[in-house]
Amino acid sequence: MDFFSPVIAGFGVVFQPENLFYCLLGVTLGMLVGVLPGLGPAATIAILLPVTYNIEPTAAIIMLAGIFYGAQYGGTITSVLLRLPGEASSVVTAIDGHEMARQGRAGSALGIAAIGSFIGGTVAIIALTFVAPLVAGFALDFGPAEYTALALLGILLVSTLGTGSTTKSILMATVGLLLATIGQDPLAGTSRLTFGSDQLLDGIDFVIVAMGLFGVGEILYSLESLRGKSAPAPSVGSVYPSRKDLGESKGAITRGSLVGFILGILPGGGATMSSMVAYAVEKKTAKHPERFGKGAIQGVAGPETANNAAATSSFIPLLTLGIPANATMAIMFGALLLQGITPGPLLVQEKPDLFWGVVNSMYIGNILLLAMSLPLIGIFVKILRIRAAILAPLTILITMIGVYTVRMNVFDMFLMVGLGIVGYLMKKVGFEPGPLVLAFVLGSLLESSFRRSMRLFDGQVTGFFGQPIAATLLVAILLIIVVPPLSRTLRKQRRKAAA
Amino acid sequence: MTSVVPEEGVPEEEDGLLPVPPSPAYARRQNIVAALIPLALGVITGIMSWSLGVGTLSNPGPGLWPLAVSVAMVVTAAVLVLRSGPTGEEETFTREALIVVVAAVSLVGYALLFERIGFEIPTVALLVLWLKGLGREGWRMTVIISLGTTAVLYLLFVTGLGVSLPHILPF
Repeated sequence: MDFFSPVIAGFGVVFQPENLFYCLLGVTLGMLVGVLPGLGPAATIAILLPVTYNIEPTAAIIMLAGIFYGAQYGGTITSVLLRLPGEASSVVTAIDGHEMARQGRAGSALGIAAIGSFIGGTVAIIALTFVAPLVAGFALDFGPAEYTALALLGILLVSTLGTGSTTKSILMATVGLLLATIGQDPLAGTSRLTFGSDQLLDGIDFVIVAMGLFGVGEILYSLESLRGKSAPAPSVGSVYPSRKDLGESKGAITRGSLVGFILGILPGGGATMSSMVAYAVEKKTAKHPERFGKGAIQGVAGPETANNAAATSSFIPLLTLGIPANATMAIMFGALLLQGITPGPLLVQEKPDLFWGVVNSMYIGNILLLAMSLPLIGIFVKILRIRAAILAPLTILITMIGVYTVRMNVFDMFLMVGLGIVGYLMKKVGFEPGPLVLAFVLGSLLESSFRRSMRLFDGQVTGFFGQPIAATLLVAILLIIVVPPLSRTLRKQRRKAAA
Repeated sequence: MTSVVPEEGVPEEEDGLLPVPPSPAYARRQNIVAALIPLALGVITGIMSWSLGVGTLSNPGPGLWPLAVSVAMVVTAAVLVLRSGPTGEEETFTREALIVVVAAVSLVGYALLFERIGFEIPTVALLVLWLKGLGREGWRMTVIISLGTTAVLYLLFVTGLGVSLPHILPF
């Protein structure tokens, strides 16, 4: 009973009218940005950070979470109808989903995606309810050594598992760590790397980095294709899948839930990777793999279920360890800090209202999304007609004024625009902003826990290996660094031997 | 992870709207330039950190951590210079990039004027520039959206949220 009473109390929090309102607002916004190509959930959450400043913490996080998992639903629509994935996590859905649309089965594809998303999301919330307190309990004894290893592992996994080049991602992570050192030394108070600027003495605010790289960067990038016509959306037809569709997708939805939940927890996993893995799993286990790419419904059901399950389960490391698993969670981390809440193992015990309120709001959010994606889908399809030329100036203004309202400081505007230009250039040259933002967020935690560990171990780096958990994590780090190049060389040699 | 996605998963280029992949030599040059910037930056911050005082491992000075990060950055950037082959994510800078330059300059101008003359005039001006100049929208649409948005922002921030944005209209 003890375990469930805070969980049930959490529902009381969700059903407060204010929180219900922000949940609805969040998932609707999420659907919208999912449908509109260009602005992703990470950018949207970043842009809205200043707005959340004025909202009560639980409501703010409920809304931001809704944007995140809502975008997973919305991203499907453009993938299926236009073969333009609104989100990276819906890229694989475009393969079979769009093929289904060409065969006049767009409705079935969208319907099964919505149902799969709902099931995947709900399964992940239930699993999260049981897993999260366990992880938090386990992490209660973590000291500086464990946190050093954990933060390092998180940054490394996000860099190596991401979609881009590993070297480029690691380079971005180091840039993020360096940006985080700007300002005062956390222990001694000496000013570091400020280049004599008083404005930089307090360090660079996370909000500015996130809004600049993700928000302004993405908007500037989208300007290049500004003059494109908005594509006419094909008709959708019935969105209620037939019994045959459901029967064929059952296995895919079950496997997708599992794959998504597990990969979502892992740092660097997240929605994008889990959808790709789920697609691969479906293709491997299918009786008729030749149907994939030609409109196989499993190729839609699997990845769409998985990306929603992953979006939900990626909250586990953030809320229980204080380690964000991907870029969007890094921004969520920033949102929590902005509200004066430090996510970590103590959160479940100290702020059960917030914790269970946010977790349980996801049930409601998923139901709302299912309702929006089945009967109301026509409305969202119409939104596709809004031209980027109109959207871009509106979002940039909200971003510019928003960043000003955080500290009433024009310097922040300049800094954000500067980072936005950097973000645009990074995108052009193929650098992911994700590892940079994540490393920036974890930078001060990593530094202070590293320095505290060093004091504990009296300057002996080997001291880390005296702590079982920290040692295990460090071995994992070594494996990540050593194994991929090693296996690459081995494969090359084997190919040479075979030739 | 990209290997999981079969070829046909990549949206086709339609009407040349999607970015054009650059030639390998172009991508390589781009990667080298992109890596040299953090490389140079890392050397500078490394020297700055060193002069802050590194201390010892058991009693680190303020410069130790930034120095360690700078070294990691320089090393990774050097690896990228050496292995600068195209990774498939590079994009060519085309004529369209000029739009981005104009946009970025307009944002700097916006920030410059924002506190001096209030947010209303710069906001309308920015909207007109982006809608008409960059987006080639019609005049009617431009005027309606520019004035409408500025009014909504005024109502939202100044009247609604009570945020003290610099403004000239005394309501």
